[in-house]
Amino acid sequence: MTWLADLRSSALVGTGRHAVPAPAAELEFRPPDGLSREELLLDQAALADVVTRAARRPSMVDTAKLPDAAPPEDARPASADAVRLLDLLLNQPPVGPELRTQLVTDWLQFAAASGRRVPHRLIPGVLALAEAKPAVAEHVDPAIGTRGRWLQGLRQKGSGPKGPAPKGSGPHPATTIDWAELRTADATAELERLRHIDPAAARDRVHSHWDTLSARERAAHLAAFAINLELADEGLLEKALDDKAISVRDVAADLLDRLPGSARGNRMAARLKPLLRVKGLLRKQFEIDLPPDPDPAALRDGIAAAPRTGEPDRLGRLDTIIRGAPLGEWTTVADRSTAATLAMLDGEPRVIDTIIATAALRADAEWVRALLDIRTDAGLLGCLPAAEREQALLRHIRSGTAQPMALVPLLRDLPRPWGPPLANAVLELLTAKNGGQLATMLSGFLPMALPPDTADQCRRLLQRSDDDGPRRRVFRDVVQYQSFRQSLTEAFQ
Amino acid sequence: MSFMGRWSEERVISAAPDAPSLAAARKLARSGPWSDTGSNDVLVWGKCQGSGKTPYQVSVDIAAPAYRCSCPSRKFPCKHALALLLLWARGEMADGGAETADFAEEWAAQRADRAAARERRQSEQQTDPAAQAKRLADRLTLMDAGIADFARWLTDLVRTGLASARNQPYSWWDGVAGRLVDAQLPGLAEQVRAMGSDVHARADWADHLLLRTGRWWAMTKAWTKRDELTATEFADLRVAVGWAMASAEVQAAESLPGPWLVLGAHRSDDGRLQQQRTWLRGPDETVVVVLDFAAQGEALATPQLAGALLDVTLARYPGSAPQRAMFTSPVAPRGLADGLGGGCSIAQALEMESAAVALSPWRERHPVLFAGVRVCPGEPGWLLDGSGDALRLVDAPVDSLLALTGSHPIQLFGELEEGRVRPLAVVVDGTVLTP
Repeated sequence: MTWLADLRSSALVGTGRHAVPAPAAELEFRPPDGLSREELLLDQAALADVVTRAARRPSMVDTAKLPDAAPPEDARPASADAVRLLDLLLNQPPVGPELRTQLVTDWLQFAAASGRRVPHRLIPGVLALAEAKPAVAEHVDPAIGTRGRWLQGLRQKGSGPKGPAPKGSGPHPATTIDWAELRTADATAELERLRHIDPAAARDRVHSHWDTLSARERAAHLAAFAINLELADEGLLEKALDDKAISVRDVAADLLDRLPGSARGNRMAARLKPLLRVKGLLRKQFEIDLPPDPDPAALRDGIAAAPRTGEPDRLGRLDTIIRGAPLGEWTTVADRSTAATLAMLDGEPRVIDTIIATAALRADAEWVRALLDIRTDAGLLGCLPAAEREQALLRHIRSGTAQPMALVPLLRDLPRPWGPPLANAVLELLTAKNGGQLATMLSGFLPMALPPDTADQCRRLLQRSDDDGPRRRVFRDVVQYQSFRQSLTEAFQ
Repeated sequence: MSFMGRWSEERVISAAPDAPSLAAARKLARSGPWSDTGSNDVLVWGKCQGSGKTPYQVSVDIAAPAYRCSCPSRKFPCKHALALLLLWARGEMADGGAETADFAEEWAAQRADRAAARERRQSEQQTDPAAQAKRLADRLTLMDAGIADFARWLTDLVRTGLASARNQPYSWWDGVAGRLVDAQLPGLAEQVRAMGSDVHARADWADHLLLRTGRWWAMTKAWTKRDELTATEFADLRVAVGWAMASAEVQAAESLPGPWLVLGAHRSDDGRLQQQRTWLRGPDETVVVVLDFAAQGEALATPQLAGALLDVTLARYPGSAPQRAMFTSPVAPRGLADGLGGGCSIAQALEMESAAVALSPWRERHPVLFAGVRVCPGEPGWLLDGSGDALRLVDAPVDSLLALTGSHPIQLFGELEEGRVRPLAVVVDGTVLTP
């Protein structure tokens, strides 16, 4: 044992129960005579303190394990003004958390567009924010620069400061393992991945394993066909209509609803046609019969059997038929345009609902447009191209029949920024007498959705005396966001 | 007094006690709620309309600096004072002319009175040598008794063993510290209190306690032999036991001219006391450290930026180099240096530490300027030099250091403490940066 270790054990146990070692000979220190045990130990502890501090040696690290220094930057840092703004956003944000996240994202996008990068000293702040906010993480590259990517690389290796791995580095589905050996959830996930890139290969895989799969697996795997559904899937879906398990048959029927050109679509059309009659001389109307009790072929196509007790749900059966049949069947029977055909269904709200659901499911553009003229529905709007969607929503708001709260999800999903007409229409709604609640519900995205030319208008609205505190806050956010964004635009010019 | 000049917005920001105060002040920093605002060379004042009927009266002495506001906030300075300073710093404050507002005038007069009374008291104390000698003798008697008591406690400590001391509750350590405070040995008391938590917080507690016990023992020995010590050695011991020098005495002793280069600064806050250390180097390579203290909630002196050249005069406290110093004139920044000068290797730094320990065994912290060192990631991080020597980093924002340096060889100024480096400034591409 070394002198120091001896000294330590002696001190830990106490001189009352442990002898005190003699000082190490090489220190050339001789204690004076007549010291008590305690004094002898304390003297040596004092000596050890000084010796330890005066004799420190550098550590050695294995340089082979250390990362290489960062490669040189290839982009120029952002302008001093832009850096000042980013610094402000990161360290003393003058706006709320949502706006701050958005503005940092904007900053990164501006930087990327102008080929500039985050200055080195602000990289840790940006990376820390990116860890908490996926929206920031998405735009970190390339604005973070070579140094930032290098730092991210260190974090990933775990040799650097701890941090979660960046996006897209999750465990990759194990393609090398036999698919049939995977657990159901993993096998379905793998199948979904395959459907995205190669629908036919996914179909072949399920087809070849079909007979060995359990009912639960058949239903789960078949549901994955909703991704990139195509007419070539029909064979397998028809086969699934004969399945023992109702869960599998239901999935197949739901998927075939989205393929109006399929054989099942034709069969449904044949069932729908005899139910529709046109009546009225001046004002034509549909008269719709309820379907008869289903024969075995209808049952196979997913039309509900009669329950053991009570009345069968005949309206439900009609819904099933409408959802399965091509929508063209209606115009054929009416012998009119889509809009005129819909006009003939004026008194049939339930049928309209089913047609809306069907048109949205199939993203049938012609029907979606005609339906939007009579009804606003989030599902329908989602089927339209962005520009058209905004127009449809604007018409809807202007019609004055819009339920303000129902607008929130529709507005949230629109591409930003909105066009001036829609922005003005929404601002009118917000400034109306009861617009405060709507303003609060839109607060999360309104600043980003309003186009820059509305800034002055919002500033005027903010200055207007308004007792509604939350509404004032929303307008203040809009004004703050837009003026900060304006500063960003100028700083990146 | 016009040398103070207008503060920069950064200077105002640094005076804020916390981020919420600053955020609140930013909201108030518009002309709307303010009236009767004005400023002269020393004072900035104004009235701020709050939620109440009477506006708050705000006065700031920009030279001291000192703040006064009639609002009930316990933040110091409060948001009103900060807002007023922000307005003033931005030049957006309506200036009511040369006439100082009554409330500001009154406050300034009160402060001047108090300062005069304090000075009078001090000079009275100084002018009575007999009373002064008696006070000193009383204090030394008290301290001698405290040191003797502490030595006995150390003897008991090693007799019963360090392991059993670790089982003692914190109150046991606190009791010992309390007796040391009573004996006017607050520096020792602070070390004992820290040990009360270190024995549980540190993995190497046994070695730490053993070596620290040895150092305490050496201090009791040195104290009893204080008549044999040189003036410098005694001054170092005074600092270690916590016997403060009167700042007036220090201030009167010398006035070292600048420019002083700020090598780096560190702020710490142990929950009760905030401390700020600013390392400076003078034209003749003298390195000194300026210490500032403030209680919780009070404002520390404005931090100085690493790399800044300061036009200021300094007076050094007695003791071995690097000495503690105090500013004896207002600080006027004169620009930024493009480097910190030449540095040393890790082996050289440790040799310097060794020499410094031989000179003053009580010192725990040594300023070091390294050259050609790389910051490398690890837990928590390493400093590596060209010859493959390494030192562990402590209190280091490693992410920030890596971002700034890219792990390339750079110059780094830091404090060497227990064989680890606390980085305070780095030099990258001719710019001194604070990580």
